[in-house]
Amino acid sequence: MAEEFSLSLAGSRKRLVTDKLAKYGVTTGAILVLTALLLIFVYLLYVVQPIFESADIEKQTTLNVQSQGKTLALGMEEQNEIAYRMTDTGLVEFIALKGESAGSVILQNQLAGNVTAFSQTIPSKGMMVYGFDDGTIQIIHPDFEVSYPNNQRFIEPSVSYPLGESHLTIDESGGEIKNLAFEMSDEQAGIAAVMADGSTVFMALTAEQNMMTEEVTWTQVSTVLPDAPAQVDQILLLPNLRNLYLRSGNRLAIYDISDVDDVSLTSIIDINATGANVTKVRLLTGASSLIVGNDSGEISQWFEVVKDGSRKLTLIREFKAEAGIIDIAPEFFRKGFLTLDEEGYLGIFHTTGDTRLLSEKLSDKPLEAVAISPRANAILVEEPGVLSLYHLDNEHPEVTWSALWQEVWYEGYPEPDYVWQSTSASDEFEPKLSLVPISFGTIKAAFYAMLFAVPIALAGAIYTAYFMSAPVRSIVKPTVELMEALPTVILGFLAGLWLAPIVEENLPGMVMLILGLPIGVLLAAFIWHNLPKSIKQATPEGAHSLILIPVVILVGYAAFSLSTPVEYWLFGGDARKFLTNELGVDFDQRNSLVVGIAMGFAVIPTIYSIAEDAVFSVPKHLTNGSLALGATTWQTLVRVVILTASPGIFSAVMMGLGRAVGETMIVLMATGNTPLMDWSIFQGMRTLAANIAVEMPESEVGSSHYRVLFLAAFVLFVFTFCFNTVAEFVRQRLREKYSSL
Amino acid sequence: MISVSPTTANAQALDLANLTEAQTALEIKDLNLYYGSKQALFDVSMKIPKGQVTAFIGPSGCGKSTLLRCINRMNDLVDICRIEGQIDLHGTNIYGRSVDVAALRRRVGMVFQRPNPFPKSIYENVVYGLRLQGIKDRRVLDEAVERSLRGAALWDEVKDRLHDNAFGLSGGQQQRLVIARAIAIEPEVLLLDEPTSALDPISTLVIEELINELKSKYTVVIVTHNMQQAARVSDQTAFMYMGELIEYADTNTLFTTPSLKKTEDYITGRYG
Repeated sequence: MAEEFSLSLAGSRKRLVTDKLAKYGVTTGAILVLTALLLIFVYLLYVVQPIFESADIEKQTTLNVQSQGKTLALGMEEQNEIAYRMTDTGLVEFIALKGESAGSVILQNQLAGNVTAFSQTIPSKGMMVYGFDDGTIQIIHPDFEVSYPNNQRFIEPSVSYPLGESHLTIDESGGEIKNLAFEMSDEQAGIAAVMADGSTVFMALTAEQNMMTEEVTWTQVSTVLPDAPAQVDQILLLPNLRNLYLRSGNRLAIYDISDVDDVSLTSIIDINATGANVTKVRLLTGASSLIVGNDSGEISQWFEVVKDGSRKLTLIREFKAEAGIIDIAPEFFRKGFLTLDEEGYLGIFHTTGDTRLLSEKLSDKPLEAVAISPRANAILVEEPGVLSLYHLDNEHPEVTWSALWQEVWYEGYPEPDYVWQSTSASDEFEPKLSLVPISFGTIKAAFYAMLFAVPIALAGAIYTAYFMSAPVRSIVKPTVELMEALPTVILGFLAGLWLAPIVEENLPGMVMLILGLPIGVLLAAFIWHNLPKSIKQATPEGAHSLILIPVVILVGYAAFSLSTPVEYWLFGGDARKFLTNELGVDFDQRNSLVVGIAMGFAVIPTIYSIAEDAVFSVPKHLTNGSLALGATTWQTLVRVVILTASPGIFSAVMMGLGRAVGETMIVLMATGNTPLMDWSIFQGMRTLAANIAVEMPESEVGSSHYRVLFLAAFVLFVFTFCFNTVAEFVRQRLREKYSSL
Repeated sequence: MISVSPTTANAQALDLANLTEAQTALEIKDLNLYYGSKQALFDVSMKIPKGQVTAFIGPSGCGKSTLLRCINRMNDLVDICRIEGQIDLHGTNIYGRSVDVAALRRRVGMVFQRPNPFPKSIYENVVYGLRLQGIKDRRVLDEAVERSLRGAALWDEVKDRLHDNAFGLSGGQQQRLVIARAIAIEPEVLLLDEPTSALDPISTLVIEELINELKSKYTVVIVTHNMQQAARVSDQTAFMYMGELIEYADTNTLFTTPSLKKTEDYITGRYG
């Protein structure tokens, strides 16, 4: 007995080991799959996460500095090692911010003359202009020369004078300059100044280079601005020298100065909020927007909007600071700005993101000036006698929930809109990172693909599984499934380069083909049905489907050969022009019709294969049960077979949809990649997947653009995840309801 | 020896060879059936009387189910099947050229070995055949449901859950539901293909009692593996062997005094 027992155990030991091995093997595989999926999720979120972080500042150094006079301008060079300060006594100082000599003045430059006015250009130009009491001005530019002696960075500050070191006389009579503004490009400069007599003068300077000596001489033309306000608080000159703004209290007078000989006042507008007074106006980088701060702590953005054919300065959006604004510092290259208010708060804002990123009280004492470094990674704040350097962490201010998913009023746009336009040649470009148009494009592409694929694939699947004889089925099914192996890049290539021009040239034919095929097939079926029985019975089993081949060829030939006559008859010879001119429908060569057909073609095998299996696996005893009750084959199909196969058919459609949403190559090559929001079948689109493929190679690693592309990938992931979850859920419910024994 | 139920035993035995036209529901004449090149039925001829239960018995593969499926032309669904001879239903050849198969199946209902309710509610299962004929009147359908379910002895068990899924019923209930579904369209003949082989003994008993009641309205033809069942429920029994009809007599006679040796061997359990 005992021996028998041990023997049977020995036999089962091997089985036990195999069993365990199989169990752990399968478990490990499953866990690995889940882990891989989770890791993708985690990595996407890890890359995306920084764009939703708010700005953060951290105090680095506090330096005691001797202050002489009031600070008019404060700034830093790129490496945040040297700061510069311009005072109302005409002193230009360079102060070391780092190293052993931190806090000491490296270089000092005292300008000659009594300073009466001061102004600075947009930050990226970095020039300052002083006005003196003898009617002259001087333009200065803090320069930094970087050298690497002993492989160590050494920055040498200096002051340069773009228009020469000698003072430039504005007022020949020698009266004081009360207020001024200056802007310059390579060949042109403009100076606006308020004279002692209260008049405002605009002077345009044009550079001329002597061919022999290469010496640059500036010729000047000046003109007195007509109807200028008596009291001018601030002058703003656009760098393109087309417009000039004079702020007098809460009103802004706008001058057109593009022609120096014909300067005109275009309009005067109020820019104050009710019950508040404007304290400061600055130009945002790119100089399209005005940022207006007032004494109740409101900041508003204004830019010109074309409305009813004329350009009008319009209030776009408002921000709120804690208290009255005393200084505004725009960023150098992004559409953000800093504010200082009366209660010592520093505010960091971004216009596109429509958001206040930071508001932090820096000091109880009144703050004097604020500067942001060119790379937007440091802030310098001055209190009397003290300079504080802060490290600023504000990588992605332009990406916010509202900028991604809501309508944004971008600079120069007539109204808020959803726009995807991530890059441009200009530094001052406002990135437009709305995910709405590309998400829309994804759905649109999938919709048209499904419109094309679902009827064909399901009808084919049902026919194959239910009506086709076994030998024909065994050829047809693998053939259709083979289509799935076709690389989508080939489909996309054919769609973009072969199909799109054909569709464009034979547009009426294409439409007739799409309408004509179902009609032709139904007509053929009707004729077949009414044929005498003798002919029907003579047809060998499985040959029925072959009858449709000539029908399809005939309809196709008829549609294309009638295309040109119909085009002449109905559309005056050019259907495209007719669409555009008569119907107002824009036509893209690479449009949704082409994508629908090409991507539909790619999706058909997926849907067909799963749906066919579902219909084929409906148990015979159910169909027999129905037939035995006197149902015709068609009634059995409609009432029992499709119902029982519905979970599988539904799955098939959802799998197809999942594939269409994630498909990249076809939409990339056949859509034109225009991120439009338009359901029109004759317009292209840009999908999430294609967008990532197009833009990822050109995006800078770690930039907002890069992270938003990852976010797009994440959104795509969520899309397919949602589709599949809903599909699985519905499928389970259907299966519970219609499961057969 | 197999006991024959008293009701059957007491019934007036019919002269099966010389039934009058009025007494005959079905007449099978010289039926030969081939699956491809293999012959499955050999010259089967018989008359099946109206309003009675006729059982086909025989060992597996003897062709009894095939013969049954010829009566409502279910064999048409088998591509390689070829039939010679004819079957008259109340005098009309069902293999005639002008016969509409769907219409024929409406007159000859069938219940299969495994319960096969559709994935629908109990109610929708019963009215399926009526809906096929385009009947939409709610009152007509409601009446048909109650009548058929009562006729299939299922009404009391399901009347409160007519709109529940039919899959919620037990196997025996499902089979009775399938019978209700078949009698809802009021066929003339009801074919039962081993209707109890997938059921437990109690469900089997219920179905057998039901068959006894059904013959008052329908001509019932039943194929069964179970000789006791044939003895219990049928009035006539046909014994088939290797595709041939060996002996056909009233049940009492066939089970008590079979005229052929083969029949006797089979019913006494020598083979099968």
